Amino acid sequence: MRLASPTFAFLVALAGTAASQDTAPVPPPVVPSFVEETGSAGIDSVFQGGWEYMVGGGGAAFDCNGDRFPDLLLAGGEKPATLYRNTSTKGGALAFAAEKSGLELEGVSGAYPLDVDGDGIMDVALLRVGENVLMRGTGDCRFERANEAWGFAGGDLWWTSLAATWEKGADWPTIAVGSYIDRHEEISPWGSCTDNWLLRPAAGERRFAAPAVLKPSFCPLSILFTDWNRSGTPSLRVSNDREYYEGGQEQMWKVEPGKDPALYTADEGWRFVRIWGMGIAAYDLDFDGYQEYFLTSMADNRLQKLANVPTDGTAPKPSYAETALARGVTAHRPYVGDDLRPSTAWHTEFQDVNNDGLVDLFIVKGNVWEMPDFAMKDPNNLLLQQADGKFVEAGDEAGVASVEQGRGGALADFNLDGLIDIAVVNRNAPAQIWRNTSADAGGWVQVKLQQPGPNRDAIGAWLEVRCTDGTILRRELTVGGGHAGGQLGWSHFGLGKETDVALRVVWPDGTADDWQPLAVNAFYVVEPGKPATAWTVN
Amino acid sequence: MRAFHHAMAALALLALLAFGVVAAPGTASAQGNVEGRPEAQEILRDWYYLMNELVRHTPTYSPPVASRSFGYLGVTAFEAAVGGSDTLVSLVGQLHDLDSVPQREAGAVYDETVVISAAMSDAIVFYFGNTGPTGQRAIQRAQEKWRARVVDGVPDDVVARSEAFGKAMAASIRDWSLDDGGAVVTNMGFPETWDLPKGDDKWVPTNPIRQQQLPLLPEWGNNRTFAIPSGATCATPGNPAFGTATDTQFYKEALEVYETGKALTPEQAAIARFWSDDPMLSMTPPGHWVSIALQVAERSNLPLDENVDLLARMGIAMSDAFVGCWHEKYAYNLIRPITYIKKNIDPKWEPLLNTPPFPEYPSGHSTVSGSMDAVLTAFFGDNYEFEDHTGSPDGRNPRTFKSFHEAAEEAGISRLYGGIHFHAAIVDGLEQGRCIGGYTNALKTRK
Repeated sequence: MRLASPTFAFLVALAGTAASQDTAPVPPPVVPSFVEETGSAGIDSVFQGGWEYMVGGGGAAFDCNGDRFPDLLLAGGEKPATLYRNTSTKGGALAFAAEKSGLELEGVSGAYPLDVDGDGIMDVALLRVGENVLMRGTGDCRFERANEAWGFAGGDLWWTSLAATWEKGADWPTIAVGSYIDRHEEISPWGSCTDNWLLRPAAGERRFAAPAVLKPSFCPLSILFTDWNRSGTPSLRVSNDREYYEGGQEQMWKVEPGKDPALYTADEGWRFVRIWGMGIAAYDLDFDGYQEYFLTSMADNRLQKLANVPTDGTAPKPSYAETALARGVTAHRPYVGDDLRPSTAWHTEFQDVNNDGLVDLFIVKGNVWEMPDFAMKDPNNLLLQQADGKFVEAGDEAGVASVEQGRGGALADFNLDGLIDIAVVNRNAPAQIWRNTSADAGGWVQVKLQQPGPNRDAIGAWLEVRCTDGTILRRELTVGGGHAGGQLGWSHFGLGKETDVALRVVWPDGTADDWQPLAVNAFYVVEPGKPATAWTVN
Repeated sequence: MRAFHHAMAALALLALLAFGVVAAPGTASAQGNVEGRPEAQEILRDWYYLMNELVRHTPTYSPPVASRSFGYLGVTAFEAAVGGSDTLVSLVGQLHDLDSVPQREAGAVYDETVVISAAMSDAIVFYFGNTGPTGQRAIQRAQEKWRARVVDGVPDDVVARSEAFGKAMAASIRDWSLDDGGAVVTNMGFPETWDLPKGDDKWVPTNPIRQQQLPLLPEWGNNRTFAIPSGATCATPGNPAFGTATDTQFYKEALEVYETGKALTPEQAAIARFWSDDPMLSMTPPGHWVSIALQVAERSNLPLDENVDLLARMGIAMSDAFVGCWHEKYAYNLIRPITYIKKNIDPKWEPLLNTPPFPEYPSGHSTVSGSMDAVLTAFFGDNYEFEDHTGSPDGRNPRTFKSFHEAAEEAGISRLYGGIHFHAAIVDGLEQGRCIGGYTNALKTRK
C-alpha cells in the first residue's frame, strides 16, 4: 500500500528519514522497549473462572483520585475485581497499590469509566455475569452502587460489552450493553443469544429510562458508539461472535435523538460480514477524516476502511473494504515459538508506542480455553506502523510477547513520561503490566478535555493535531470498544520530530475551536473556547 | 435445544412401544420399559443432532472434514447395531482396510439403546474432541444426562456389558480411521506451504483473508476411501477448455454466471442462500444432508436397523464424494468465477455468496449432493416428497422437494445462482457424486 503525497512525505518526515522514490526501501520503525514490572508494580490480579468467564476479562484505566495519573481497575471473574491506585511518579517505575474502593464485586467481566452524573468524579460501569452495576464515584477512589439512584436496569444476563454516548441535547448519557448466550443452556446454547439493551435518559429526569431491546441481538463481544460518517451523531457499531448466533452478522445501529434505533441495511450499503467479533479499535489511519476499524477475531483479524470516501461533500455509505492483508495486520498466527496454530485475538487499541507520529496497534491474544485447533501459546501483537502505512510485528523485540491467555488490556501513560505503557488482563493467570522505557522515541503531546455541563469529559469530541505539513492526526473520544474494558483520561499523540503543532477540538455539540499552538512533550487541559492550559506533574 | 425438543416430543409417544426382548443369532437384546426412556434410534438421532451442531461450531470442520466424520460415525453406529439385529450384515471386508470389529458375547443380553448411546458418546469425543469449550461442555452434559436416561431401568450387568461393547466399537472404528490421511487437520485445513499452479486458468486466492491465501486441504483427494477404489474413481470429464474469447464455451459459462447474478430472482437468491451451507456458519453441505436424513428418519420413525443403515450409507458416500471431488479439484486447479469475471467481463462484479477458498472444478456441493441423490433415492425410492427445515434457525424458509433427485439438482444449481461455480462444475459434480454413490449402493448391508 502506498499513501498519497503529501501524506507520504509527512509520514517519512515523521519517521525521521528521507525517501524520494516510491521504490525506496521503507525505513524500519523505531522499536520501543518495554520492561515488565508486574511484580514490582504491585499488580497481582487474576481474571479467574470457568465457562462463564471464557470471554471478558477487561481492564479500565482512569483517574479516580484527581492526580491525573491513570489508576487501574481489573476484572476478577469469579474473584472480586481489584482497583489499583496509581502511585507511580513521573518517569519512574510503575507502582500501584490495591485498595478497598467499593468495586470489589464478584462476577465482574469488564469495566468502563464514565462520569454518568457529570459531577467531575469518575464513575464506573461494571459488566458482569449476572447484573450490571453502575458505581458512582464519591472521590478519592471510592465508589458506591448507583443502579437504583440512577434508574439503571442491570438485568441478569451474561453481559459482555458496553458503550456510552451523550445524545444531542441530553443531560444524561445513553448506554448500550451487549449480552452473550443464555448461560443456563447446557447442551445446545448455540443460537441462544440474549438481548442487547439501549438505556436512554428518562424524559425530563436525570436518570435512565427502562431499557429498550436492540433486536436482533447476535452475541456481541464489543460495541462502540462512533461517528463513522462524521455526521455529528454517533452510531453503534456491534461486533458479534458468530460462534453463537444464527442468522446474524456484524451490525451498526443508527441511534438518533428522539428516534427508535434502526439497523443500517444492505440497501444502505452495509456489507454482510460474519466473524468471531471480539474487540474493536478505531483510528483515522489514512488521514482522510474517517476512521478505520480494526476488529479482532480468530485466525484472521479485520481492518475495515470506508470503501468509498465521497469527495463531493455527500455522506458516505456504510460500506467497508477489508484492508488487513494489505496493511499487514492480519495477526493470524503466533510469530514466536513453535506453536503455529491460528491465533485468538481479544482486546485491541491504536496507540503510538514509539511516538513517531504513526499510530501502532496492540492486540491481546489468548486461547479461548484449551481449544486445540488454536494456538495455546499465542503472543500478544505489537504492530508498528511504517511510513508506507503497513505494519510490522515488534512484540517480541519490544518485550511484550506474553503467551498467557490474554483477554483485556489498557494502553496508557501510567507514569506520565510521554510514553504509552501497556497493561494486559489474562484469564486464569496474573495480569501483566509493562513500562515503556524507549530511549529513542519521538515527541508527544497529551490532551485532556473537559467541558461544563453533564458530559464533562466531552465524550464524542474529536481531537485534531495538525503537523507542520498540514497533516492532521485525529482521535475520537469514545467510551466502549476494546474487549470488555476501556480508558478515559489523557489522549496521547506521538509527534516524531515535529516541534510546532496545533490543536483543534471539535466538541460533541459540533462546535469547532480555533487552532491553537501547542508545545511538544507536554500535557494540556482544554476547555471549549479557551486557550489550552498546560499541566505539569506535581 | 430445538432439535432435541422436537425429537423428545416424538420420543414421549414412542416410549410406550419401547418394551420387548428381541433375540438375535447368538445374542439377545433387551429394551427397558421405563417411561421416557428413548429407543435406540431416537438416542442415535439425538447424538447426530448434537454432532451436527458441533460441525457448525468446530472450526476445523470444513465440508470434507465433516463428511469424513460422518463416514466413521455412520459405520460406528452400524457395526454397533449389527450384532443385535437379525437383518443387518457387517461392512467388515467391504470397506477398505476394515478387517474386523469387536463382536458381542454369544448368548449374552445387550440393550440396544445403551449400546448405541455408549458408542456415540465415545465417538463424539473422537471426532469432535477439538471443538471449543462450549462444545466440550455440551458433550459432557449430554454424556451425563443422556446416559442417565438410557440406563434407567436396565439391569446393571446389561448396562455394563452394553456400554463396554459400544465403547469398544467406537474405539475400534476410531483406530481404523487414524491412517486414512484425514485424521489430522491443522490450521483449519490450510497448508503451511503449497505451490500454486501458474496459468491464466488457475485458481488464485479470492479473498483478503491471510489464512486463505493457500487453498483448503489440497491433498484430501489422496485420502483412503470407504467404498470407491480411490479418489480417482468416477473421474470427471474436465472443465471446458479455458478461453477468454467471447465465442469460447468457457467465456459463455462465465457470462451465464455473470448475467444470472445480475438478474437474480428472489427465488434464485433464496435457493442460493438455502444451500449456501458455509463452514462455521452452518452445518456444511454434508451436515445439511444429514439434517435432511434426520428429519425424514424422525418423520418416518425409522427403526434402528434402517436408521443405522441409512446413516452409514450416507456417511460412506459423502466421505467418498469429497475425496473424489477434491482429487479432481486439484487435478484441474480451475479459476473461480469471481476471478475470471472481474478480469474478463466486469471488474466490479461481486457474487451473492462468499467464494470458497479452493479451486472451482468440480463443485463440491454438487458432488456430495449427487452422491446423496443416489443413496437416498435407493433407500427411500423415487418421488419421496419431503420438506427441509435445515436453515430455519438462521431465518431461511423451509423448502419442499418432490424427490431427493430434485433436491440434489437444486443444491447444484444454487452454486451458479450464488456466483461461485460455472455450469460444467455443477453438472459434472452431480454426475461424479451419483457415480460414487453407486459404489455405496452396491454395499451389502442386509441379509
